Amino acid sequence: MLAQQIVNALTLGAIYALIALGYTMVYGILELINFAHSEVLMLGAFVALGLFRFFPGAFGAGLWGFALIFAASMFLAGLVNVAIERFAYRPLRGASRLAPLISAIGVSIVLQNGVFLGVNTQSLPFPQPSGIRSFLLPGGAAVSSLQILILTAALALMGLLHYIIQYTKVGKAMRACADDVATAGLMGINSNSVIALTFFIGGALGGAAGVLYGANYGSIKYNMGFLPGMKAFTAAVLGGIGNTRGALLGGFLLGLLEVFSAGYIPTGAQWRDVVSFGVLIAVLLIRPAGLLGASTGEKV
Amino acid sequence: MRISHRPVALVFAAVLGAACRPSEKVVKIAVAVPLTGDMGTEGQGLRRGVTMALEEINASHRYPFRLEAAPFDDRADPKEAVNVANLIVSDPEILAVVGPYNSGCGIPAAKVYARSSVAMVSPAATNPEVTAQQLSPEWTGPKNVFRVVPTDDVQGEAAARFAYRRLGKRRMALVHDKTPYGQGIAEQFQKTFTALGGRVVTVDGISVGDKDFKALLTKIKSDAASAEGVYFGGLYTEAGLILKQMKELAMTPRLIFISGDGSKTPGIFDVAGDAADGAYLSIVGIPVEDLPSAREFIVRYKKRWTAAGEELRPFDHFGYEATMIVSEALARMAPTPAQLPLDRAAMIAQLRKTDYMGMLGRTTFDAKGDTGNKIVTMTVAHSRDRSFESIR
Repeated sequence: MLAQQIVNALTLGAIYALIALGYTMVYGILELINFAHSEVLMLGAFVALGLFRFFPGAFGAGLWGFALIFAASMFLAGLVNVAIERFAYRPLRGASRLAPLISAIGVSIVLQNGVFLGVNTQSLPFPQPSGIRSFLLPGGAAVSSLQILILTAALALMGLLHYIIQYTKVGKAMRACADDVATAGLMGINSNSVIALTFFIGGALGGAAGVLYGANYGSIKYNMGFLPGMKAFTAAVLGGIGNTRGALLGGFLLGLLEVFSAGYIPTGAQWRDVVSFGVLIAVLLIRPAGLLGASTGEKV
Repeated sequence: MRISHRPVALVFAAVLGAACRPSEKVVKIAVAVPLTGDMGTEGQGLRRGVTMALEEINASHRYPFRLEAAPFDDRADPKEAVNVANLIVSDPEILAVVGPYNSGCGIPAAKVYARSSVAMVSPAATNPEVTAQQLSPEWTGPKNVFRVVPTDDVQGEAAARFAYRRLGKRRMALVHDKTPYGQGIAEQFQKTFTALGGRVVTVDGISVGDKDFKALLTKIKSDAASAEGVYFGGLYTEAGLILKQMKELAMTPRLIFISGDGSKTPGIFDVAGDAADGAYLSIVGIPVEDLPSAREFIVRYKKRWTAAGEELRPFDHFGYEATMIVSEALARMAPTPAQLPLDRAAMIAQLRKTDYMGMLGRTTFDAKGDTGNKIVTMTVAHSRDRSFESIR
């Protein structure tokens, strides 16, 4: 049972971590909680379903077709996030901190209801990559190749993100903007395009999470982003918002907490959220900046 | 130059006159069901059933006025159901309500209707409390709640007997979605199953909207008591996800899955895919396809509703039957156009006297307003043709 629960927790945690990265990157650079992020995730999944349905020639359930769907959805979700920044946040950058926050909530409601009214109000079946096989690990845990794919994709994207932020020129510019947007601008960094790029990467990660989420649970719906969005936001705060390693840690930690409280506490399924959020409050009381919030200087 | 206003005024009067011509006399029957959201497909089906019944009644010129369906969307949300109920009682043209679909909506909405003496005939809400609450001393209004579906007591009980006697299962795990409907059928299952000598090894509640039940299912799978199956009280989205994840955890087909009528809808195949195969789903009454008395109804239904997505849903014939029962009660009131708007309290009194032979068989209401028809059918799901086969 332990082995199986760890497998369950890793899959769930990988998805949470991927979403949490999107929250934390935007927060790191603008100190803005992008409440529209959960809708970017949902749009990523809907784009994937749309491509699958309307262009069955290029996009399919086979390995390459699915990889193409994955890449295209990430790209489009990234663009959506850039557009959100351009039209809903950038004009408000000089305003009080409350204004972009309300704007973010507004964007979230508009996007969710847009899909609700314009696309579909029901759960829609999401394509599964063909050839999923189930393996039995030692210890009796059942793992499907889809779960392995989810974990691999999530870890690969996180690795790529780490590389971009730490070892590329753009990453350096992003870190500089995170430290101080105005000063970075004075140093010759085009802060607007760096911020747009941050939103693009954050959105692409959200889109990736949406596709993986849809594939894992087999169905998508207009409000599918809300719950994982809330959870991932919690994970980002738990790990220390603004810190990418913190988002990773928080995501996996939340996955473990949820799975183990549901799996080991008697009648724990209904206590799952109580336990997870209880731990969050406890952590914040001891470390208000989150687990890794204070340990590093930079925020991206 | 001065232009005379007279001709203009005349034209105005003519237009106004045309618009305000004494309109046709109308009596409305409200349909308060979820029209959007996850349960929207079921609600839309119910609306089709009610609309069809009213169209047939109007075509027969049975009344000296027209009957009209007034659809309201409660989004399967108890708060919204109360809002909708307040809207409905404030419209004097509305004589009675067919709805709601969900027990969670029916329980609070019934109180609003009672305050204004509006009869509520539910075609689908199966929690006993929907009608039983009328017996409580706090119930001040008239006993205005009726339903044409058997309650959860019979559904949970039948499922327990089926699991114990027919399938020979002795240990079952219980999962419910903490709603009055889900928890209700799960508790009835537990009561009967334990009384028969079986053992309910675990009881767990999940949240509507959650997607990941693997932790819970892993616990059930590896529990020392080794449950032989899962009984789920809830609706098809969660039921579908549980089935899918049971398959991924290699629990099915070793463990059986049984659930109630909230899961018996083609939507479960959209969520679970072929993982739905072999799931046992009970429904109240006899599936309309198996009712000889409903053959005519199905033919007419398929002729009337031909657009995409307008397939026959599991509760449509209950909506139709409920409307016909309201119409029977209306006929006993012998209404004339001069009496409009009609007396709502008289409607309740006439409904109480119901003795109607329809496609469900004979419907009478007991003191609580529950139907005397108490049949439950067990079905098994087949994903290949998205069908449910009745088990005799």
